[in-house]
Amino acid sequence: MSRRLACLVLALSAAAGATAGEQEIELGLENFYYRTDETLFNRGNILGLDRGEDLLRGTLRLKRSLGAARLVVSGFVERRLGGGDATETTLRQAYLQYGWGEGLTLRVGKQRIGWGSGFAWNPTSRIEPPKNSLNTSLEQQGAVAARMDLIPVTWAGLVLVAARSEVDRGDLPFETPRARRRTGALRARFLLADTDLALVFSGGKNQRTLVGFDLARDVGALSLHAEGAFYKGAELPPSRDGQTFFRLAAGLLHARGDDSFTLEYFFNGEGYSDASAAAFFSRLEAAFRLAPEAYLAAVGTAYAGGLGLRRHYAQGSWTRGSAGGKWTLSGRGTVGLSDGGIALTPGVVYAPRGNVTLHGEAVLLLGSKESEYGHSPLRGALSARVKVLF
Amino acid sequence: MSSVFFALLLAATPPPDADEILRRAQAVVLGETAGYTLRMTVTRPGKAERVVEIKGFKKGDDLGLIRYTAPPKERGTAYLRKGDNTWLFLPSAEKVVRVGPKQNFGGGDFSNGDIFRLSLTRDYTATLAGEETLLSQACWRLELKARDRSVAYDRVVYWVRSDGTYYPVKADYYTLSGRRLKWLTLSEVGRLGDRSRPTLLTMESALEVGAKTLLRFLTIDDKAKPDDRLFTPSALERGE
Repeated sequence: MSRRLACLVLALSAAAGATAGEQEIELGLENFYYRTDETLFNRGNILGLDRGEDLLRGTLRLKRSLGAARLVVSGFVERRLGGGDATETTLRQAYLQYGWGEGLTLRVGKQRIGWGSGFAWNPTSRIEPPKNSLNTSLEQQGAVAARMDLIPVTWAGLVLVAARSEVDRGDLPFETPRARRRTGALRARFLLADTDLALVFSGGKNQRTLVGFDLARDVGALSLHAEGAFYKGAELPPSRDGQTFFRLAAGLLHARGDDSFTLEYFFNGEGYSDASAAAFFSRLEAAFRLAPEAYLAAVGTAYAGGLGLRRHYAQGSWTRGSAGGKWTLSGRGTVGLSDGGIALTPGVVYAPRGNVTLHGEAVLLLGSKESEYGHSPLRGALSARVKVLF
Repeated sequence: MSSVFFALLLAATPPPDADEILRRAQAVVLGETAGYTLRMTVTRPGKAERVVEIKGFKKGDDLGLIRYTAPPKERGTAYLRKGDNTWLFLPSAEKVVRVGPKQNFGGGDFSNGDIFRLSLTRDYTATLAGEETLLSQACWRLELKARDRSVAYDRVVYWVRSDGTYYPVKADYYTLSGRRLKWLTLSEVGRLGDRSRPTLLTMESALEVGAKTLLRFLTIDDKAKPDDRLFTPSALERGE
């Protein structure tokens, strides 16, 4: 976190604390334990991982509202215990929001954008770091951005974002290459014939320009969504500059009583075919022998690429819980349909009191050892989080 | 003498037609436009009660918005209803997702439709089926039949006080197969906001003995004038 930004956040927090208004404070403790191994993505343990890696975090979130203004600050101090011990401070969000009536809202600072209807994958988003599709419940870092929401009429709205972000996948016990992006993005939203429709344009520095769409509507007891994007040139190597690619995340949500179910399919048009994946993997092996730096950069593709190396993925989830309830159970399964990799993420949340929650989750990697997930140096994970709200 | 006269007059006056009774009864708890806070208590046999507090707005028959205000872990979760569409805002994910209208609201015995779609007049055709005494109140008994199959219940039997207050007293909800699914009791008439009205709504399930959900209105602002643009997914996403 830059010193200037930290000073600004502290000044804003102090200013907010000095005024009347509604305030929420959340304190938390998070621990991520990873079981690791030497795999294709970690030849010779080049990432320097212990067999067991721990990330221990203390988290803080502050939200203060005063009339139409709102300040949100959240972040954590992390101690890595394992192959390399290190302490880091990370700001997840720090923004100010102000609304002029219902028609115009401006939000400035580091913030989550929530761009797109996809549950696990958001093909239209180039603004923020991608979600961890194996565990979408993890709190993500935002992007430093100015966002304007304009609602001129009830059936149409416009969202404009100018953002600067470092795209990497968080919550990992090793560094991944960070693509620094400057993004300008526009989302025109409509509600037409009981259908949510959004048209998206996004472009900027260090990224492909895309045009996309987002659709959602209810059909019977199902809520359906489809989020797609077209762009020229690949994000995964090789760059294939003249080629147009398409990505699509389409899925459904069904809720019945305390249970809700989701299913989502992701088509990654630039993802590797079996032959291309085999070539990529063999290039990795060669790079490890000849040029470890190039190897590390290429391995980072699997993480910084963000949306996956292969073409077809699916995710299903089940959640049982209700408002005010003590227990929430969940199960999530992500399947690499192209290569047979499987990740299961069971979870439980216990709320002994209305302001205390305890989260426990695991990630189990199953399926083909030759798959993208099979090559991951992280062979399994456990996470425990405690949150207390005031 | 005068009370006898008025009693005779009331007896001699034909009751309003069923649609008019229904229309007036529907406006008793919440008028055309309102802001309100309420406490929802969900009771399940053998389980601890679940209590959440809610702040809400309604405008006409089509627009409804509610946000959880307590307990703290639920704070910020919000539902928006616009016509036949329902969206849910999850603050932890900063995401708005669509959810079906027939889903149980907050895991209780009210459906999203019960909470937001307050217009029985639009969704049902009403006939006056008689007069009865129910819960010590003289009532009109209305038979409501769904105009189409998009609504949650095929048939509703609805009791409305016939003493001139038009306070709804009870509603029985039936499925297409004729089975009573649940019933709603409106009680604890008291002054809230500008006028008196039932302040406690209790929905009981016929599917699980002892299961019930209470909605207790804490405040009602009949003068609230929310902007239509408050009832949009974009506004929902902005949070509170």
